[in-house]
Amino acid sequence: MGHRNSEQQVLVVPCSGIGKVHGLISREAVYRVTDILMPGRSSTVCLALLVSGDPRTRAKVQQQPCITVDGCPKLCARKNVDLSGGKVALGVRVYDTLKRHHGAQLGSPTALSAAGWVAAEEIAAEIAHTAQQLLAAGKQES
Amino acid sequence: MTGTTKVGIIACSGEEIPAGSLSRLAARRVLELLRPQSTVTLCLPLFLAGEEQERRFARQHPTITVDGCDKLCAKRGTEEHSGQVAASLVVTDILGQRVHKCHRSARELDKSDEEAVWILAERIAAEVDALSQTASAEQAADAPAAASCACACGSPPPEGNLELDGKTATVNWLPSIFDQLYKQNLEPGQGCADRLLETVRIYHEIPEGEEPLYRDALAAAYQEYYDRRAK
Repeated sequence: MGHRNSEQQVLVVPCSGIGKVHGLISREAVYRVTDILMPGRSSTVCLALLVSGDPRTRAKVQQQPCITVDGCPKLCARKNVDLSGGKVALGVRVYDTLKRHHGAQLGSPTALSAAGWVAAEEIAAEIAHTAQQLLAAGKQES
Repeated sequence: MTGTTKVGIIACSGEEIPAGSLSRLAARRVLELLRPQSTVTLCLPLFLAGEEQERRFARQHPTITVDGCDKLCAKRGTEEHSGQVAASLVVTDILGQRVHKCHRSARELDKSDEEAVWILAERIAAEVDALSQTASAEQAADAPAAASCACACGSPPPEGNLELDGKTATVNWLPSIFDQLYKQNLEPGQGCADRLLETVRIYHEIPEGEEPLYRDALAAAYQEYYDRRAK
């Protein structure tokens, strides 16, 4: 990855799409990683701020390995991290994970059901797994 | 509310701060409970990323932006691409110190968050009412200028019909799905069927055992669509 800082964090960026449950799942999966699974070793940025061209947010995205989490095939998070000069180490597509939950009622864009939380946790675990590998690889390089 | 003009609500949904989560929840509260007939929500990342349907909606309808902080990403982005917003609300201005008791994740929501969301949602609803009254008066004076749009999340999505062995299935967003895949250079033929099926499944529940029917119907419908576009 070429990231040399031993205090490196992984940036995890969800789309947070407001129209479907997939957006909320992306958002909650990210908070599970940043707040519970990998606090201090992962963080997030406001996608709208990044898309608006905020220099500090762009710099973060360019300097840290990124994992994006998208709810729909428009891939707003992934595309905007790419466009901002970030390197996407993993692009999670929520709808891929949901194939394993076929027919499950996942909740709404406002609140997740129990099945929705399970899906968010699965995605969070996948993100954390990759994030740990990225950090380990970064340490070996430095 | 007697007007038919929809008001667009654009929340910043900022992921870094609790106020971003509040903006998102309050926008949904207005859409789902307070003013379901007169509002739609627009997806800000999609809007900022250049989605023309969302931008057109914001150009043709009054919009309210709800920003978590004074960086005003939603307001600035909307005004850059679709003209002046009708109202701009900032969560921290409305809630003051109360925002510090709130949380980012839905997992942690408590009474403080719930109260904050209600305060914000009622404030948004009041702006919706004011705008709807104004818009209704303008529509009455200038009826031909009214425009329609079915692009945003809360409005009826564009539908398409599939013929499945003698019965018809209505699939939400089918025209948009075809548009999107066409732009991604998806070629028609049986080779495209899995991709079509995978995408349609996101928006439409495909009953067990009916995948082969859907696969064939989608391939045929996409072929027709492709031929029309190619002319």
